[in-house]
Amino acid sequence: MKKYFITFIVITLAAFAWVSCTDFPVDEDGLLITERGQCYVGNFELLGSDFQTVRTKAPVIDTTAQTINVEVFYGTDLKNVYPQFSLVTDAKLDPKITGKVDFSDLANPKVYTVISGNRLVKKPYTVYITVQPKP
Amino acid sequence: MQLKYYSLLLLTFAVIFFTACQDEEYSLPTLEGGLHNDCIKRTLGPNVVGLNLEFAYAMALPKAEGKIVSAQVEASIAGGAATYMEYRSFSTNSSGVDVPVTIGSPSVTSATKTEVIFTKDTCAATLRYFYIIPEEARGKTVKFTFSAKASNGQTVTYEMGPYTVAKMDMKLDLVVSDNNNSYISIADMAVYNAATAATKAANIDLVYLYRTYTTATFNHALVAPAANPDYKPGITLPAGVGNSAKIWKVWALRDQHLARLQYGIYIDDIDFQELDFSGAPDYAINLRAEAGTWVETADGKYRAYIYINKIDNTKKEMTISIKRYQMK
Repeated sequence: MKKYFITFIVITLAAFAWVSCTDFPVDEDGLLITERGQCYVGNFELLGSDFQTVRTKAPVIDTTAQTINVEVFYGTDLKNVYPQFSLVTDAKLDPKITGKVDFSDLANPKVYTVISGNRLVKKPYTVYITVQPKP
Repeated sequence: MQLKYYSLLLLTFAVIFFTACQDEEYSLPTLEGGLHNDCIKRTLGPNVVGLNLEFAYAMALPKAEGKIVSAQVEASIAGGAATYMEYRSFSTNSSGVDVPVTIGSPSVTSATKTEVIFTKDTCAATLRYFYIIPEEARGKTVKFTFSAKASNGQTVTYEMGPYTVAKMDMKLDLVVSDNNNSYISIADMAVYNAATAATKAANIDLVYLYRTYTTATFNHALVAPAANPDYKPGITLPAGVGNSAKIWKVWALRDQHLARLQYGIYIDDIDFQELDFSGAPDYAINLRAEAGTWVETADGKYRAYIYINKIDNTKKEMTISIKRYQMK
């Protein structure tokens, strides 16, 4: 009886106390490095200072050419917009978006690099913005 | 040995699951003697000059000990002309409607004091007090002393506050129209037509216009007079009008005072103080109803929030309400 009791206690304790401590590597941002090699932008949004979209229509994302084409409303204040990228699982963006971004220099479109979950694949995406024509 | 382990297990379960469930017999609470009072503040949000502060003041004593003869409120700063205390006690019926019961004569306000004399044999009442925030209270604190007197000579008092009165101003329901009153002055909290704007050129901060195009979305717009002509097509500014206000577009900031909708959002002095207008544009186009704009005047003297209550595309006009804060 004593043997069963001790076995029961030990198993119970082991079940509660056992913690899986498998080491997964993390990158310099503290993000998990996984085995995913996919590397693309799924969606793109551009918000104005009022956090409302400034797009006139859905963005065109070409994952082969690695370009994003967006048309914004006439009069959009492109010096103060918030870009939002939806990336494939585990991927991250460089440079990071920490607030408003100045997209007003249309001749020099901004480039954001998508880095895959395994941190081995890097794809630069160029964001081309066009403004509704002047009336 | 076996018994010992069973006992140990049983004891463990007993400790975990045992709950004491002692029955206590209910007994009627004993009525506490004497005159008592209590008070709550019913209004929410910042205290703005011209609006009211509403309180509900409750007072009661056991019927056998006497009746209430008067209720009084003393404010640290005399309220506006319409300050009053209800002479009716309200109860809410099953339909949720407040039903009044008259307990005395209408209140009399003298300087800082407002008093209701009871004329009905009343031993319990809750009276509402409406303090109209006066101009003298702007930026100061105000507090209240509620008191009640009973026929047996007892008196009770209840202190409320201090409450800080906001420095900001407010103006509701100004109508701006594309072809008439299209010039907005934050300094004056007013809208003007072109002729009047010419006489107050230094005070004109924004121009309202409405345009529709097939190739671009423009609609309702608030533009600083000094903005790029592209954003004020067809506008010939009156002589001298040329200020350059900074404007941030805002969405879903439906201030309760300005919008008077169901949203419990309030803009207070601190919101104006903490705004950052660096890099702000001088125009806001494609504005919608229930949107708004933060504005800073060209001289930095005023900051304002302009809320758009209503837009009318046919009449080419907007109804706006403004909260304004003087920065210097």
